[in-house]
Amino acid sequence: MVYWILLQKSFMRNMQYKVAHLINNAASAIFGFVFIAIWVGVLQGKENESPYSALDMTYYIAAVQCILWLSGFLTAGLNIQNGVRNGAISLELARPTNYFLYVTSQEVGRLLYNLFFRSLPIGLVFSLTVGFYIPQHLPTYFFLCISILFAMIISINLHFLVGISACWTTEIDWAHFVNFTLLVGLGGQLVPIDLLPAPLSSITPYLPFAGAIYYPVMIFLEKISSEVILIQLIWVVVLTSFNLWLTEKARHKLEIQGG
Amino acid sequence: MIQAQQLNKHFKIYETKKGFIGSFASLLSTKHHVVKAVDDISFSVEEGEFVGYIGPNGAGKSTTIKMLSGILHLTSGEIKVGGLSPQKKRKEVAKKIGIVFGQRTQLWWDLPLRDSFDILKEMYKVPDEKYRQFLKLYDDMLQIGKFMDTPVRKLSLGQRMRGDLAAAMIHNPDILFLDEPTIGLDVNAKTSIRAFLKELNQNEKKTILLTTHDMDDIELLCSRVIVINHGQIVLDGTLEDLRKNIGLPSVMEIQYRVKPTTTDIRLEGIERMTWEDEKLVIDYDRSLLSSPLLLQKVTQWGEPVDIQMKEPDIEQVIQKIY
Amino acid sequence: MNLYLKLLSGSLRSRMQYKMNFLVSSLSYGLIMAVDFVLLAAILQRFDDVKGWNLYEVGLLYGISSVAITLYRVFCVEVHNFERYMVEGEFDSLLIRPVSPLSLLLTKNLDLSRIGGTIQGIIILVISIIGLKLNNIELFLLLIYLPVTIVSGVLICFSLGLITATIAFWTQRIKDFQTFTLYAPFNAANYPMNIYPGWLKIIFFTVIPVGFMNYTPILFLLNKGGDLWNLALPPLVSIIFLFVALRFWKFGIRHYHSTGS
Repeated sequence: MVYWILLQKSFMRNMQYKVAHLINNAASAIFGFVFIAIWVGVLQGKENESPYSALDMTYYIAAVQCILWLSGFLTAGLNIQNGVRNGAISLELARPTNYFLYVTSQEVGRLLYNLFFRSLPIGLVFSLTVGFYIPQHLPTYFFLCISILFAMIISINLHFLVGISACWTTEIDWAHFVNFTLLVGLGGQLVPIDLLPAPLSSITPYLPFAGAIYYPVMIFLEKISSEVILIQLIWVVVLTSFNLWLTEKARHKLEIQGG
Repeated sequence: MIQAQQLNKHFKIYETKKGFIGSFASLLSTKHHVVKAVDDISFSVEEGEFVGYIGPNGAGKSTTIKMLSGILHLTSGEIKVGGLSPQKKRKEVAKKIGIVFGQRTQLWWDLPLRDSFDILKEMYKVPDEKYRQFLKLYDDMLQIGKFMDTPVRKLSLGQRMRGDLAAAMIHNPDILFLDEPTIGLDVNAKTSIRAFLKELNQNEKKTILLTTHDMDDIELLCSRVIVINHGQIVLDGTLEDLRKNIGLPSVMEIQYRVKPTTTDIRLEGIERMTWEDEKLVIDYDRSLLSSPLLLQKVTQWGEPVDIQMKEPDIEQVIQKIY
Repeated sequence: MNLYLKLLSGSLRSRMQYKMNFLVSSLSYGLIMAVDFVLLAAILQRFDDVKGWNLYEVGLLYGISSVAITLYRVFCVEVHNFERYMVEGEFDSLLIRPVSPLSLLLTKNLDLSRIGGTIQGIIILVISIIGLKLNNIELFLLLIYLPVTIVSGVLICFSLGLITATIAFWTQRIKDFQTFTLYAPFNAANYPMNIYPGWLKIIFFTVIPVGFMNYTPILFLLNKGGDLWNLALPPLVSIIFLFVALRFWKFGIRHYHSTGS
């Protein structure tokens, strides 16, 4: 299976830099400490006004910092834009492999690497310093796995969308920034989205960004019903179909214009 | 103009470990071995000389150029360029020399050539009047006027090299260090750059030190050749001296339709014959055996499909000096 | 100076070749930082303050810190991306000029797209200063002192950037270091230092002295404590730190002279 091999290769490629990444993890943890400090400072003496206690928020931020490496910090445009710039995309689209799977399997390899060499070490740092939540009910672990998987698929799709847009715009830096900003802003990276001000807090739960960060974290903390996985599932289906359709459009465009 | 006395440059090669922490760990480790990149070299170059500085890859050419221009410090020895030590007076020496690295440009990638020149004019504090003369003169010599307003990234390799050469001359230095200025260029570009360098040396009396892998550069330009190998000078003399050692090394490649049976004719001047299936490669010395004569012989041996003349590898040429 | 103007106009022109891209990327850099601040505003709108600092007070810290780091990103882009000179071996071409390598790096390029972040930081500062409703004397003092704190911040940021760049003489690659020495500390400096646990505070007032840039002087200017020393420390610390960074850079260059790439 070619996609499995691509996935493995991508995993191994990242292994070369594992020591550098481990140092980077320390910085990632410091970001987490800063956000936790903000929440602890904010909630001091006000815990009864808030749906979350300071400890809740500590767990929340710690979990977010871990999951960001699985569904937040993906390769900009999944590097599709490079293929568009140097013309290699025409070749890649012509291969007897599915282009969507060809691109995404490499990113999955990277994310699996991130799981072992970024998320888990960062989680370990938090559990040794500020503490890390441990789900109390067995089914949570099952739902958590599905939710994280869906979160990864949603985020990969969002990044694929940004990357493939290069076929029409050539330059995707800005699209990546907008996507990333929405992902962390409306995905609940710093603020749980139910705490956002009025109009936002009623829209954001139904956007894909919540499915990438907020829902898996809340399921992990056992603070939300597992039914939200259905919202994630809808986005998984919608985004994947849309991207497959868009890939065909891109192929069509390149065939006519010759790249 | 250039004096180098008993130059030594030793590098400590630490046992490197892979990765990030590894690079720190190898900082602290004391396990290392010493590589003598330049091993007790002395030479001096007079005003107006055109010196070819040649040797195989890793022989110490670049290290020497870097020491002459003040980029690298010495392990021991002494250098004077235009009467000053490039190690102690790097900035003053920089004003007296022009440097071109063939492998990488020193022009501003996204800017038109003219803007790069404007910036360098300010950097070297060239007076307006001198600058105008420079532009006029170098447009005549290198025809850079045609692409003065094109961004450097859009120039062809040959145009870019002409731009780089002009940029190195903007402050009218007396000494030029050229590190493989003809690398990767096509025949036309090489010819025009050689003509320019020749003019620079003969009319402007510039002192030039050139490293190259191209034997033609040496034969057409250099009045003197210094050959370096394993960090040591193995030959320092005129082009004639080099000839006496190596002759006029040439290579001919003949592709036969069928591999001939009788080729064992002993001709004076043939140094080596190697077969690769139906292809015969002959290393010979042009000063002993003329190419037309050899051509005549090889067609007698069999029916050639294709015949090519090739430039000899400088690595092979150097081997012969021993 | 003339040279610098030449380079500035050159950089501007090369950027302008991609006009649309330039505009959009400036906007998006600004947008990221804006969203970050809007989220903070959303928290503080609901919970009033963080350890005694209200939104406008935090905004003042936030604005100073983001203006400082984005000005560094605009003017010191080649120092920030110094890794390239080591990895691609381009540092040699800086050492053949009659000008110091550091001045060459500082004049070589400008990243004008980061100016969007600076403008956004200034907007936050303006909103915060209006929102604070200071009396005339306090306002006057703050406005007088603001340039000092921003310049101190840029110097501290530059020094950190230069120290990180110097590390590249040994390690070649520094991108992973920068998260540690620049991004994380400047993110932390967006918020008041008193919210952090002791060990973090110690780091931010010693080896990575970002706390001095905004927290120390604003504490005094907003009558939250401290004395006139709080106003003297930022320029003092930044100049000492700059001196240390320059010494380290010189040390790195000497290392390069003896080993090459």
